[in-house]
Amino acid sequence: MKPVISVRDLVKTYSIGEVRVPALRGVSLDVHAGEFVTVVGPSGSGKSTLMHILGCLDKPTGGEYFLDGQNVSQLNDDQLSRIRNKQIGFVFQGFNLLSRTSALENVELPLLYGGSNTPPQERRKRAMEALAAVGLADRAEHHPNQLSGGQQQRVAIARALMNNPAILMADEPTGNLDSRTSIEVMDIFQALKDGRGITIVLITHEPQVAAYGSRILTIKDGCIVSDKANVRRRLARYELEYEPRDASLVEGRAG
Amino acid sequence: MSPRSCFRVALRALAKNKLQTALTMIGLTIGVATVLTMIALGSGAQSSIQDQVKAAGMNLIVITAGNYKVKTEDDFGVVENARFEAPRAESPFRAAIWTGDDRPRFLPVFHPEDDPLEKHDHPTASQRLGDMEAGLGSAATLASGDAAAIRKLKGVQFVSEGVHENAHVAFGGKRWFTRLHGDDVSLPFIRRAWKFERGRFYTAREENNTDQVIVLGSVAAEKLFGDANPVGEIVKIWNQPFKVVGVVTSGSWLVAPAPGDDQFDAVYVPFTTVHRLLNLSKLNDITVTAASSGDVTRLSKGITELLRGRHKIGPTKPDDFTVTSQARQALAKGGMRPEVARSVVGNVDVLEKVTLEQLGKTLDRSSRTMTALLACIAAVSLLVGGIGIMNIMLLSVTERTKEIGIRRAIGARRKDVLLQFLMEATTLSVAGGLGGIAIGVAASIAIARWASWAASISFISVALAFGISAAVGIFFGYYPARQASEVAPMESLRYE
Repeated sequence: MKPVISVRDLVKTYSIGEVRVPALRGVSLDVHAGEFVTVVGPSGSGKSTLMHILGCLDKPTGGEYFLDGQNVSQLNDDQLSRIRNKQIGFVFQGFNLLSRTSALENVELPLLYGGSNTPPQERRKRAMEALAAVGLADRAEHHPNQLSGGQQQRVAIARALMNNPAILMADEPTGNLDSRTSIEVMDIFQALKDGRGITIVLITHEPQVAAYGSRILTIKDGCIVSDKANVRRRLARYELEYEPRDASLVEGRAG
Repeated sequence: MSPRSCFRVALRALAKNKLQTALTMIGLTIGVATVLTMIALGSGAQSSIQDQVKAAGMNLIVITAGNYKVKTEDDFGVVENARFEAPRAESPFRAAIWTGDDRPRFLPVFHPEDDPLEKHDHPTASQRLGDMEAGLGSAATLASGDAAAIRKLKGVQFVSEGVHENAHVAFGGKRWFTRLHGDDVSLPFIRRAWKFERGRFYTAREENNTDQVIVLGSVAAEKLFGDANPVGEIVKIWNQPFKVVGVVTSGSWLVAPAPGDDQFDAVYVPFTTVHRLLNLSKLNDITVTAASSGDVTRLSKGITELLRGRHKIGPTKPDDFTVTSQARQALAKGGMRPEVARSVVGNVDVLEKVTLEQLGKTLDRSSRTMTALLACIAAVSLLVGGIGIMNIMLLSVTERTKEIGIRRAIGARRKDVLLQFLMEATTLSVAGGLGGIAIGVAASIAIARWASWAASISFISVALAFGISAAVGIFFGYYPARQASEVAPMESLRYE
C-alpha cells in the first residue's frame, strides 16, 4: 500500500543572522493511511518543525515530501493553501480559534476558503453537525473566551474535520489541558482513527500522551532515533470509564 | 471566498473595533463632504453665472434710432474709443479778416463746436443730433421695413420692434405713471427671464388687428390692482380702453421686479396699436437676438451695413442709428459685483466687441481658478482621510498577524487575505464616503438656504464622491492588504 505521507532526507535549517541552526537533519518517514503516529521528543528536538513541514505550513530546506503521491515541494502557495484546506486538519496547543468569533463561525471557516462556494445555510448546517459530533451543539453561539480549554479544543477539532481531511495534524493538543480533558481529547482522536480511518500525526513531549498512538516516533536533535509500533496502547475510552472523575486525583497521579 | 462572505467577514472585523472604525471613517467623511460641498458650490456658481449671462441676454443686439456717442467714459470708468476720431489737424475753418494791418490775420470765425475736425470733450450740437434731427431714441430713423430686413439676415433669431412712451395707466380711480412699451409678439422669446404669473402675452393676430390689449408688468399690476387678478379688466391709457391679457414678472432670482425698473414697472401693448393710436410710423428701437451668442459681433456689423445701405448714408457720414450689444448692460445689471464687472470690462479692448466667448473665457478662467483651489482643499482632506485608513489598516495587520496566520493555516490563499483586507479598507472608506455624501448634501442645501449661495448637487457629483471614496479605500488599503497577504501560515503558531 502506498504511504499517505512519505518524506525522504528532510532537512530544515533556520538562519538566525549568521548562525545556521539545523532543526531537522535528514528525516525519512512513511506514514500509511489510518495510522495514529505520535511523535515524541524533548523541546528543541525538531518535532514541531517536522509537523509544520508535514502540514505544509513551512517548506523544507532540503529533501522531498510526497503527500498522497504528490511532490509537495513543487507546489505553489495557492496549491499548498488548497492542501491545507482539503487534505489536512490542524489542532494546535493554543487552540488557535478566532477570538470574538462564535464557535459556529470558527467551525464554518474552512468552508469559506474551500473555493466551492457553499451556500450560507449549508455551511451553517454542516458546522452545526460538526459541533454536535464533538458534543458542543449547545455552545454554538459562544465565543472562545466563554468556553473552557477542553471545549475550545473540541471546537478546534470540529473545525479541523470540516472538509473531511485524510490527515489530522495535532501539535501538543493536550498541552494546555488538564489531564481528564486531555484524555477526553485523546478519546476523540482514537475514535476518529478507529471509526473514520483518519491518519493522525500527533506531536507531544509527554510519553504518557504518546502512548495513545498506534506508532511512536522518538525524535532527538533533528533525527528519528526510534520508530516502533505501540504494543501497550492506552485506550482513552476505557480510562474515562474506569478512572475516577475527581480531577485533582488524576492530576496528582499524572504529575 | 465569495464576495458576499468576504464582505461579511470585513464587516465583522470592523465591528470589533467600533471606536477605531468610527474615527477612521470620520476622516473620510469630512473629506468627501468637503469635496461634495465644494463641487456643489462651484457648479452652483458656474450655473448662476451662466444664468446671469443668458438672462441678461448676452446674444442681444439693440438698434436705437439716432446716434449719441460722445460720452468719453462709460459706466465702468473705462475710456472708450470714440467711433469717429477726427485727425487732429490745423483747422481750415478760419477766415482772413482784415484788421487794418498790412497782413491779413487768420482768426476763427465759427464757433469752435462747428468745426468738424475739432475734438471736444463734450457733445457738440451736431453730435447730439447725430447729424440728423434728434438724439438717441427720439430720432425718427428706424422703420418697420428695417426690422423686416434685419429679420432676413443670417444668424438672426428673434427681432422685436419697439416704440416707447411714458403714459398714465388708469384703472377705476387709480392712476399709475409708468413706461409704455409698444413691442411686437417676439418680445417674450427675447426676454428669457420672463414669467407670466397670470394670463399670456398678446398674439400675432391681436398685433395685426391693432387690438387694444395690454400686458402689465407685475409692479404696475400691483399698483393698480393690488392682489386682485387684473386679467380681463379694462384699463385706460390716453382715455382709450385696453383689455388686460396678462401679467408678467421675473422668473430669475437675480432680477427682482422693483418700482422704477424698465421691465416690470411697465406695460406692454402691440406696437401696431401704439402706431395707430398715436399716428406714428417710426420705431424707437429694434431688439435683435443672435441665434448663436458668439455671433453677436459679426451680426452687429452686418446690421450696421444693412441699415447704412437702407438709409443711404454715405461713407463719410456717421450712422443715424446706434447698434449696441447687451454685454455692457449684462455686466452692469446681471447682479455681478461691480469690481468683477469692472475687471472684466477692463480686460476687453472695446466693450461693444464683447462676445460671449470672450466674456465666457474670462469668467471661465476665474471660476476654474476657484474650482482648482477648492479641489486642492478637497484633495488634501481626502488625502488625510486616506492616510488615516492606511494607518489603521497597517496597525490592524500587525495586530491581527495571528488571525491571518490561522486563516492561512486553514486554507486561505494569499488572494483571499488580500481581498479581505482590501474589502475592509473599502468598506471603511465607502461607509465614510456615504456619511460624507449625506453631510455634503445637507451642507450644500443648508448653505443654499441660509447663505443664499447658489449650490447645485448633481447625480454625477454624488456618484463621483462615492467613486472617489471607494477609490481612496482601494488605493490606501492596497499596501496594508498586501502586507497582510505576505503573512506566512506559520505565524498562526507564534504569539502564543
